[in-house]
Amino acid sequence: MIQLKSVSKVYRVGPVKVTALDGVSLEIEKGEFTVLAGPSGSGKTTLLRLLYRDEVPTEGEIRVAGFDVTGMRRSRIPHLRRAVGVVFQDAKLLPARNVYDNVAFVLRVLGTPRREITPRVMQTLKAVGISARAQALPAQLSQGEQQRAALARALIKEPALLLADEPTGNLDEAMAEEILYLLSDIWNRGTTILLATHRATLANQLKRRTLVLDGGRLLKDEA
Amino acid sequence: MLFFLVGEALRDLRRGGRVAVSAVLLITLSLTALGAFWVLSLNLGRALVQWRDRFRVVVYLREEPPAGQVEGLLKKIEGVGGIQRLRYVSKGQALQALRRQIGGQASVVAELPANPLPASVEVTPAGEAMTPEGTRALIQRLSALAEVEEVQGGTAWVEWLAQLQGLLQAIGLSLGAVLALAAILTATTATTLVLHARREEMEIMRLVGASEMVIRLPLLLQGLIQGFVGAAMAVGGLYGAYRLALPTLEPLLSFTLGLPRAAFFAPAEIAVLVGGGGLLGALGGLMAKGERPA
Ligand SMILES: Nc1ncnc2c1ncn2[C@@H]1O[C@H](COP(=O)(O)OP(=O)(O)OP(=O)(O)O)[C@@H](O)[C@H]1O
Ligand SMILES: [Mg+2]
Repeated sequence: MIQLKSVSKVYRVGPVKVTALDGVSLEIEKGEFTVLAGPSGSGKTTLLRLLYRDEVPTEGEIRVAGFDVTGMRRSRIPHLRRAVGVVFQDAKLLPARNVYDNVAFVLRVLGTPRREITPRVMQTLKAVGISARAQALPAQLSQGEQQRAALARALIKEPALLLADEPTGNLDEAMAEEILYLLSDIWNRGTTILLATHRATLANQLKRRTLVLDGGRLLKDEA
Repeated sequence: MLFFLVGEALRDLRRGGRVAVSAVLLITLSLTALGAFWVLSLNLGRALVQWRDRFRVVVYLREEPPAGQVEGLLKKIEGVGGIQRLRYVSKGQALQALRRQIGGQASVVAELPANPLPASVEVTPAGEAMTPEGTRALIQRLSALAEVEEVQGGTAWVEWLAQLQGLLQAIGLSLGAVLALAAILTATTATTLVLHARREEMEIMRLVGASEMVIRLPLLLQGLIQGFVGAAMAVGGLYGAYRLALPTLEPLLSFTLGLPRAAFFAPAEIAVLVGGGGLLGALGGLMAKGERPA
């Protein structure tokens, strides 16, 4: 599902060069649940952004869900993005639209036939446990509920791969656990998951294969 | 999908707010200016065609030729070139025409001791000789003929009309161009505002894999809508003004230019104006700087 070969990413901020990733090679199989751990600033977010081509690597090759991410033409990017769902620490919901519309928005921009939209949205909202708040605006939701809505938005297009960047970062422990439980649930239904977090305890507690980044290098890869 | 795109475009228009309204008004203004001058020049053009059609060069002959030689004389005159039609008017015919013209005072004519009018040939220049220079050259060639006493046929009036038409077109085009530029810039600003308001949405659209077409099309559409609304208002305003001015304008026109009717745009010309409006708005929509995709 994911292959990286000697991937480096150097950001240039004026004359200053910041090496965010340094020669990272790794492979993640279809159907895996992998945790990407490491301290703040170790390059986790950068790695995820390379995977959905929000950024391009300075060096190396990347393949994701059958796409040659490094060599692909710009016009192919939307196809990659449709195969990859992404959620962030902040839910990034559109504030002027309610939960239903935030999720339906994805199907609308992807040109899904109108009559398919409502049943699919309701089904997805149910799957992440937020169907009761479909008409609520993001501001009227708790952080945990917002994160569920964001998950629904990422999952509605049925991506093969879900990238989650610190999705529990804004949540208290009980809510974080609920979201993690939900992620396991999603994984059980066949979605490959890569979860980035700087919380070591969380990473350990999940008991999944864990990739540890430090200073842009891959330190450990343990099951 | 279409519903979605148009819906987004309308939402964008609302977000453009006052600037979008200004863009629409500027498009209206520029097309009104352009259209007003266009309609004037259109009518002048019609007058010109009519005047050119009626335009004759009159060749007065030294002596009335005997009946048998008229044919040969006409051939000779036609031989100078640049002539479309010619018609011989004998002394007798000229006098009859004069009688008809003065009507009631025909007795005055009857009292003339002899027919004072010369025989003449009315010459209609050919299309290519219809220019001021062409006519002047033709008159010179005709004057050179031995049988010819005098040639009359001022082109000054027609020339003046042609120049006026050119002037109107130039003023209309330059005024319209300046206003059109302002309109495009305003439409661009309106779209840029919309882009800012839509930044989050566009980010999400790109994140979930919407094609660039779907992302940009609502912007183009809202520009187009601004343009069409502006153009429709311009055409409506011009038509209103035309109807209002018609009662005073028409007698004036027929008196000065000999045009029986003042014309408004034909449907095709209205389509050009509306299309122009759409183009202005769409250009504004296209030129807006949004953050480009990564
Ligand atoms: N757009 C950018 N421009 C310049 N430097 C950047 C950019 N993004 C990240 N960096 C730098 O790259 C390094 C890795 O950042 P990254 O965000 O990938 O870390 P992270 O592991 O996600 O951290 P955190 O756990 O705090 O989210 C950091 O030093 C950061 O300052
Ligand atoms: Mg990060």
